[in-house]
Amino acid sequence: MPTLRSATASASTAGTASPTAIATPRSAKRRLTSPRRAAGSPDASQFTSPHKSPNVGIVGTPKLLSASPRSSRKRLYGDFVAAEKPKWNPRGKSPESHFSRAQSSDWDLTKEFICSADPAQMQVVKEALHVATVPSCGLVCRDDEQSRVLEFCKGCVEQERSGSLYVCGCPGTGKTLSINKVKESVARWADETGMETPDALSINCTSLAKTHEIFSKILAKFQTRKKATCKLSPLQQLQTMFSHKESAPRRMLLVVVDEMDYLITRDRAVLHDLFMLTTYQFSRCILIGIANAIDLADRFLPKLESLNCKPLVVTFRAYSKDQISDIIKHRLKVLEYDVFEPLALEFCARKVAAASGDMRKALGVCRSAVEVFEARLQESSDQEFGLVTFDHMDIALSKAFKSPVVDSILCLPQHQQMVLCALANTFHHCKKKATTLGELNKSYIEICRSTQVPAVGMLEFSNMCMVLSDQGFMKLGQSKEDKLRRVMLQIDSSDITFAFKGNRFFQKCLEQQKF
Amino acid sequence: MDLSATPSRSKSGLRSSPRKPVAAPAVAQMDLSTPSKPTPRRKPKAPPVAAPMSPVTPSSVRRSSRLLETPTKVTSETPVKPTPTPKRKRAAPSPSPKTPTQSEPKRQRQRQRQRQQPKKPKKRAYYRKVVYDGGEFAAGDDVYVKRRDGAESDAEDPEAEECRVCFRAGAAVMVECDVCLGGFHLRCVRPPLRRVPEGDWACPYCEAERAGKAIERPKPPEGKRIVRTAKEKLLSSDLWAARIESLWREPDGIFWAKVRWYIIPEETAAGRQPHNLRRELYRTNDLADIEMETILRHCYVMSPKEFKDASDQGDDVFYCEYEYDIHWHNFKRLADIDDEPETKEDPGDEPYNAGNDYVSDSDEDSEYDEEEEPTKCSSARTHQSHALAANLRKGRTYGLQKIGIRKIPEHVRCHQKTNLEKAKATLLLATLPKSLPCRDKEMEEISAFVKDAICNDQCLGRCLYIHGVPGTGKTMSVLAVMRRLRSELDSGNLRPYSFIEINGLKLASPENIYKVIYEQLSGHRVGWKKALHYLTEHFSGGTKIGKQANQPIILLIDELDLLLTRNQSVLYNILDWPTRPNSNLVVIGIANTMDLPEKLLPRISSRMGIQRLCFGPYNYRQLQEIITSRLKGIDAFEDQAIEFASRKVAAMSGDARRALEICRRAAEFADYRVKQSGHTSVNRGKNVVCMGDIEAAIQEVFQAPHIQVMKNCPKFGKIILVAMVHELYRSGLGEVMFDKLAATVLSWCHVNRELLPGYDTLLKICCKLGEGKIILCEEGTKHKLQKLQLNYPSDDVTFALKESPDIPWLSKYL
Repeated sequence: MPTLRSATASASTAGTASPTAIATPRSAKRRLTSPRRAAGSPDASQFTSPHKSPNVGIVGTPKLLSASPRSSRKRLYGDFVAAEKPKWNPRGKSPESHFSRAQSSDWDLTKEFICSADPAQMQVVKEALHVATVPSCGLVCRDDEQSRVLEFCKGCVEQERSGSLYVCGCPGTGKTLSINKVKESVARWADETGMETPDALSINCTSLAKTHEIFSKILAKFQTRKKATCKLSPLQQLQTMFSHKESAPRRMLLVVVDEMDYLITRDRAVLHDLFMLTTYQFSRCILIGIANAIDLADRFLPKLESLNCKPLVVTFRAYSKDQISDIIKHRLKVLEYDVFEPLALEFCARKVAAASGDMRKALGVCRSAVEVFEARLQESSDQEFGLVTFDHMDIALSKAFKSPVVDSILCLPQHQQMVLCALANTFHHCKKKATTLGELNKSYIEICRSTQVPAVGMLEFSNMCMVLSDQGFMKLGQSKEDKLRRVMLQIDSSDITFAFKGNRFFQKCLEQQKF
Repeated sequence: MDLSATPSRSKSGLRSSPRKPVAAPAVAQMDLSTPSKPTPRRKPKAPPVAAPMSPVTPSSVRRSSRLLETPTKVTSETPVKPTPTPKRKRAAPSPSPKTPTQSEPKRQRQRQRQRQQPKKPKKRAYYRKVVYDGGEFAAGDDVYVKRRDGAESDAEDPEAEECRVCFRAGAAVMVECDVCLGGFHLRCVRPPLRRVPEGDWACPYCEAERAGKAIERPKPPEGKRIVRTAKEKLLSSDLWAARIESLWREPDGIFWAKVRWYIIPEETAAGRQPHNLRRELYRTNDLADIEMETILRHCYVMSPKEFKDASDQGDDVFYCEYEYDIHWHNFKRLADIDDEPETKEDPGDEPYNAGNDYVSDSDEDSEYDEEEEPTKCSSARTHQSHALAANLRKGRTYGLQKIGIRKIPEHVRCHQKTNLEKAKATLLLATLPKSLPCRDKEMEEISAFVKDAICNDQCLGRCLYIHGVPGTGKTMSVLAVMRRLRSELDSGNLRPYSFIEINGLKLASPENIYKVIYEQLSGHRVGWKKALHYLTEHFSGGTKIGKQANQPIILLIDELDLLLTRNQSVLYNILDWPTRPNSNLVVIGIANTMDLPEKLLPRISSRMGIQRLCFGPYNYRQLQEIITSRLKGIDAFEDQAIEFASRKVAAMSGDARRALEICRRAAEFADYRVKQSGHTSVNRGKNVVCMGDIEAAIQEVFQAPHIQVMKNCPKFGKIILVAMVHELYRSGLGEVMFDKLAATVLSWCHVNRELLPGYDTLLKICCKLGEGKIILCEEGTKHKLQKLQLNYPSDDVTFALKESPDIPWLSKYL
């Protein structure tokens, strides 16, 4: 049982040498807690991931046990602000107990305990914010989509017919996670209603070496013992299997195909054949495809429409700001204290929602805000803040979203900056979109002459341009001769002007108009 | 599990006897193909049985072994000559059978002689057997060698292993676990064992771990450290094992030994393979001279047959079947080598063969002097000890590398390097600097990132993308951080991890990265498709690869952008693994482009996370610091010269490689200049690199070659070029017709009384210039109608041809 292990692990991190007096009641307590909770929990999947198991233990604590050990912890945390000072949830409010006073003789021991407990606590927060952590109690904000997919699957299983579904949405909107949840709940539902549980097969198309390997994977799921010795290809075997009643398999198979657009080949045969598998009379496949493009099915499978087996489309929209903050709060609910200021969370959610609505990004920002907070704590241990505040979040957000262009322009070597100036000058007045390297060299030499800086040679110049294009400032076209390579500015020329606003030398460079 | 076939043995509790009675170590080769037969030879030996075949017990009581009386005492005057030592006695269970010939008085004499000043100071005395520090060592013996002084190797040297449960080394019978090689008292195991079990036995802890359960191993009681036996230290490469090839005494009285190293499988290029036994060593072809002081005590390296038959050897028994070639990294079966004729006889044995030395004075019985070969310079030989073994004089060694170091030829070493030469050497790009200045912040960040990922018991997968222009120390910083972490790991402050470094440029195709990763994790070579399958299983929580499956893996991918395929699936997979639960994978990607994440598909950049680290170009101060830190202690550069070079480079590219190259080139110029001017006792001040040298180097590096070409043109070529500039300037066009140009040239020649060139000569010269791409010309069929164009700006021509000594009149047309 993972819970037990982690509980002892955290106890061992806490108890260095002697405070076993403290560590033992806690670990014992948890040992009591977790099995009970596991029994009571309907969601068996909770315990698949050891990530959140310590959290589960902590959540279960207040309701089950007498207040004494926990309140001792509270007292400890309340007194020492060295670490992250947890604010307790109101429901966990309990009277000050004598236990802590009894413990006060071991004052220095407890102090030690706190200090060593701090990194562990940070770790718990980071774990809760990690991308790979599956939230323990269901997903929030995706109920609608989940129920649609679930209904579809239920319908298919009940009527024993095949069907196809296409899930699309931007990256980081919880598609795969939701479908995995649905897969579990279909299995549970089938168990409860006494149906035959459908098999499930998840394939990520990026891990296929060849696109048509997908059929052999599906086939392997159907015929477990038979070895494929026949001359037919796996696809043909599947087709013959599904077109005859006697050979058709009994159980349903739920196939989840992630990153489906990797299956697109030039003739689209694989994708087409895959969807066509669900149209056979005795097919038992429930196909769920996941990809980013909204119109993948329309674009690549126009034939399916005429066969009237167009897949049902479920769209995952990008998260709105409310949803993002809900999800983060939900993830952090497993901790018994607040980590973020509400304002900070709100800020993060707004910013991410405005940019992309990508949950991974939001989690990354929160994590980096926690790291900023941690760094601040180490710098000055006497500070009074116990929460990740707006400022920390601001730093993290600007790290993630701020365009690095201006800064990187400013730390370029001088001659490269002058090349950028020349480029900006070229495009400033005319409507041209591109120039050649030779032209650019001329205007660069002009600038050099006017500012009395010795110019570099052509070879070095084209080298510098290569470096600049590597960094993404400009784009170099291909040409046999260096001089004739097309040059295009990749950044906004106003960025360049902005970067050199305070510099007289470069102001002069930028004023160069004739060349 | 192929572990099931490990040789099993029981340990005796009494470790005071040198040959520890231990049950049979089976030589079941752990090949999966060969059926692993259980070893029925496991016999619980009664602990205190002294080894029957070893009358001398040098190892455990070695500090006081002078008191030891050898039972079979032969007359002391017997010379060793009649019984020459078998030279190639492999893995001899030492003490060799010749031990009885050693007599006690003689040995004492030897000891005395060690302290005495040698009679003949010029001679090197070779011995067959030496009693040193209480132990008796003979050629052909296998010994432990101290690796570093200061390591705990000589702090304590437990002969007896402690039980892993009760942490006492009692007299009770111990049994050895086949997996972790830990010893257990029979009564300490739960449930207690009556006798040593038949067949393989794994301790309950290992069994639990194998079953996937987490179980806490018993911790040692308060205040007691777990002492490691020499065997454990050797297997964790804190000690070395070596075979003594010859022994001698230097004229200054220090005893030396020529040894042949053994290495553990981890130190071979292939690493530990699944078929390696726990106690397996490889013999190498690397010989070294070490001081006897560093030899710890005996160990017993055995051939497979001996290992199988050895029933009651002690803890210090090892198995050696192959010889490892350290230069070519290949393995040879020892049996095959021995069948070969003795062509590759070790040089260390030669003194033995020298029969004339045998008949030396008979009162020095087993000790024979030898005249030094005149070819070998004695002073050089004295200092030719293995640089890495612990030595008597300094007591310290440099570096942790063990073998494979390249020997520097003598004549190079004799030469005293000048400052300039030293500077040239340290400024080479390949030289590893001692410190990395100016990247402290970035390195701090990297190490915080890696530590954050691996320090805790739960490794959270993450990605870090490092970008920056070339020559800004990206890869070097990461590797420096990893070296630092490695040393932290060695000192035990970190959880073990595995580090995989891949350069995208070195992959034949992007997909091959799977193959490389898999090979590093498991040691097997498979095709990339199969590797991809296994890796996906591994990271998504299925069957794990390799022995240390739960260790965090740090994957460093240099030149990440080269992994871009058309559908970017390779990058997708690599960046998707860290987002899986329990993947334990940390990816660090390095590339030049700043906007790689934006170039990728959104789903990939979403998985990449937001951790970025930018290595900006160096500014001139940083470059200056880098160069000065490399040149620390070498007074070869003027300060201004360094500043000039670094300013010049910082203005253009900020590439540290470029700056170092310029400085090195300048040092070469200065060196050349100094050597040209003969011996420089007069002008000492000019022995450093000055501004002029830097200037020359910069000219060479930065100046375009076309100027040189123009300067070295033939006469008419120059005239044509200048005429072209003239014509272009006059007409204001970009190109000029050949006949016009020819007319100008002819008229100029006429005016200045030059020889008039023919029309076709001019055409030919134009074609030559066109071939050199100084000018661009149309195809030659148009003859005089072809249009010519200058390939370089006319300023360059003016600059190059301003002063031409052979045609002074040319400058007036410019």
